[in-house]
Amino acid sequence: MERFIADRIKDFEAGRIGRREFCEAVALAFTVYAAGDAAKAAPARRGFTMLGVNHISYNCPNYAVARDFYTSTFGMGVVNDKNMGRANLTFGPEAGKGGTFLVVRTGETTPDAGATATVDHVCYTVSNWDEQKVRAGFAAKGLTPTGRNGSLHVYDPFDFDVQIGNAVEETAFRR
Amino acid sequence: MQGFIATKLDDFAQGKISRRRLIDTLMAAGTAVAAAESAKAAPAPADPALKVSLVNHISYTCPNFRQAGDWYSRVFNLEQVGPSDNDVALPFGKRGDKPMGITANDVPVSYLVIRTREATAPASGQTQARRRPRAIVQHMGYTVADFDREKAKAEFISLGVKGVRDGGLYSLHMLDAFGYDIQVSGLANNALTDGA
Repeated sequence: MERFIADRIKDFEAGRIGRREFCEAVALAFTVYAAGDAAKAAPARRGFTMLGVNHISYNCPNYAVARDFYTSTFGMGVVNDKNMGRANLTFGPEAGKGGTFLVVRTGETTPDAGATATVDHVCYTVSNWDEQKVRAGFAAKGLTPTGRNGSLHVYDPFDFDVQIGNAVEETAFRR
Repeated sequence: MQGFIATKLDDFAQGKISRRRLIDTLMAAGTAVAAAESAKAAPAPADPALKVSLVNHISYTCPNFRQAGDWYSRVFNLEQVGPSDNDVALPFGKRGDKPMGITANDVPVSYLVIRTREATAPASGQTQARRRPRAIVQHMGYTVADFDREKAKAEFISLGVKGVRDGGLYSLHMLDAFGYDIQVSGLANNALTDGA
């Protein structure tokens, strides 16, 4: 958006747009930006603009065991559980407004034919991180985390590695 | 808002503020508008118990992290940061960006860590091998902006993406550079609609 504003200032200075047009253009840009749709203001380009993780599709021997673990340990909600071998476990913002979900399924646990990549762990952010409270919460569940303050690993009931971290220890820009 | 913009523009035109100051002021105003909009959409405050807020990162292991990183960068316009000899991070935004729908200041944008290592290699700073899980992340779902399935399908195919196919009502599935299944959608695919 900064580039967009800078360009409009140049247009204004060069007389290509008037005062009213400048104000309308910038106000409209704010609206688009606020709607999370800044891509529309950018020049056309190939590919897509990633907004975030939509969901994680997790297969295991017993979805109900996974469901109970993730809801009770990490505070996830439950949606679309019809006792038919899958449930959507919600966290973060509301569904459809940036919320993410973990789909737990009773299903095949071998990689797809032809796939040579795998997800070896998932890390979740915990806001308002309180080290003592986090560790006490794990202890109450009988879990012994590894890692360091602000970044801890535990195993779920099917030995899948789950990490939680805070914004200081776990950010792409700290690496 | 337009009145505020006009006032700042007048200040700039009269030499009261610099070009840089004008841009910074308008950027701050835009961010405030965005934050206010996000706040309207935010759920009730989280309870004090341990509660995850967002995916921090997905740790993805493959035979060649550079090749996979380039694939995700090319298809999803993701920048690569902090490369090492065996991994690279691809954040879904820039430093300081707030993830969609998040109002807290301590929840960074999610990112992919793409690595080349044994799947059971010890976690960072650990010495003990990771356990071999009896569960699997069978595929990953990602949300992209301005998703229109038919247009997106054509764009993925034109980008050379393999295995593009419809997924449910609102999404597409495809294979990444190492045959890993990913699902791409807009906001219409969410916890309430998926599997409903």
